[in-house]
Amino acid sequence: MAGFDDELVGLLPRLRRFARALSRDAADADDLCQAAVEKALGARAQWQPGTRMDSWMYRIMRNTWIDKTRARSRAAQTFVHEDAGLGVGDAGDRAIEARVELGRVERAMAQLPDEQREAVALVLVEGLAYKEAAELLDVPMGTLTSRLVRGRQALLAMLGEAA
Amino acid sequence: MTPDDEMLMAYADGELDALTAKRVERAIAEDPELAAKVAAHRRLRSDLAAAFPLAGGRDPLEAVIRSAPAPIARRRPPIWRQPWLQAAAMAACLVIGVSVGSNWRAGPIATDRSGALVASGTLARALDNQLALEAGETRIVVSFRNTQGSYCRVFAGAATDGIACRTAGQWRLVRTGAGSATARGDYRQAGSADMAMLEAAQGMMAGDRLDAEQEARARQEGWEPAKSERR
Repeated sequence: MAGFDDELVGLLPRLRRFARALSRDAADADDLCQAAVEKALGARAQWQPGTRMDSWMYRIMRNTWIDKTRARSRAAQTFVHEDAGLGVGDAGDRAIEARVELGRVERAMAQLPDEQREAVALVLVEGLAYKEAAELLDVPMGTLTSRLVRGRQALLAMLGEAA
Repeated sequence: MTPDDEMLMAYADGELDALTAKRVERAIAEDPELAAKVAAHRRLRSDLAAAFPLAGGRDPLEAVIRSAPAPIARRRPPIWRQPWLQAAAMAACLVIGVSVGSNWRAGPIATDRSGALVASGTLARALDNQLALEAGETRIVVSFRNTQGSYCRVFAGAATDGIACRTAGQWRLVRTGAGSATARGDYRQAGSADMAMLEAAQGMMAGDRLDAEQEARARQEGWEPAKSERR
């Protein structure tokens, strides 16, 4: 299975990039990437040689990301601090503001709703065609394009450019 | 035609068919505002590319990938066609003395005069009578002929898994391992013991496994190879 290893190693730079585009900070991105690679190694028997490993890996990473995000929001709802009564949704924003090292574009990405962020990440960061992205996300083309256009409008607005 | 934002975006991304792209092009040429929107979409794409560059250098996960153990090939059916996987499978089979335990004399295993382990009692009966995959206390996983032409059967029981080959009128146990249906507390993946035995069997096998018909005929003949085909 040397082919599998080589191909997966070859995908690492793109997986890193996709993980960073999905995650809200670098530590989360590292965790996500590691978790996705481990999942792929565990499920390598399910990968069919000759098919596209990049699509397979994007899918694994995206599913891992969704699981992590859900787990985190459950935890956030379950363990709300007393002094967090001010607003549960604030924690993320405060954390984002604290990370001044993040670039403008990354910060803007981090504020997009998840559905828009994954569409933007796949098409604009990873360079997938609309059709590929729609298949990967299991949504119709129309859904993909509407998420994409909303995500872009939001990004342009945050970056001070109107479209 | 005034293209909407979705169409302008698709145009900027090169996602429109030629005809629609032409129309959008014409609309843009007449309306600087539309042209500015397309330019903004394109700029955003290059901004994002710049913000999320591809990492260079050696990735620490490479070592994780390269050192991951190769899996048992679950998805390469049929197992009978696989190249023989030996070492791992052999290692999985426990040494007879360890796995059979101290009470083997009372159980389904006995010794013949030469000291070789042979099946007795319920195990011998199962090996004599049961067809592969029939339900029973002991399950016969598969039957085959070894390179000497003898009939052999892979079995899985509560106490012992193994491979028995018909030798001098008895089922000689050529390989045994801890039973796959043991009452021990530890978790045992379903089929993993079978798998180890199957892999071992594969190394002994001459030709293919017996199909149901061949197996039934072999049982009828008392597991003795017909004289005409005996070597």
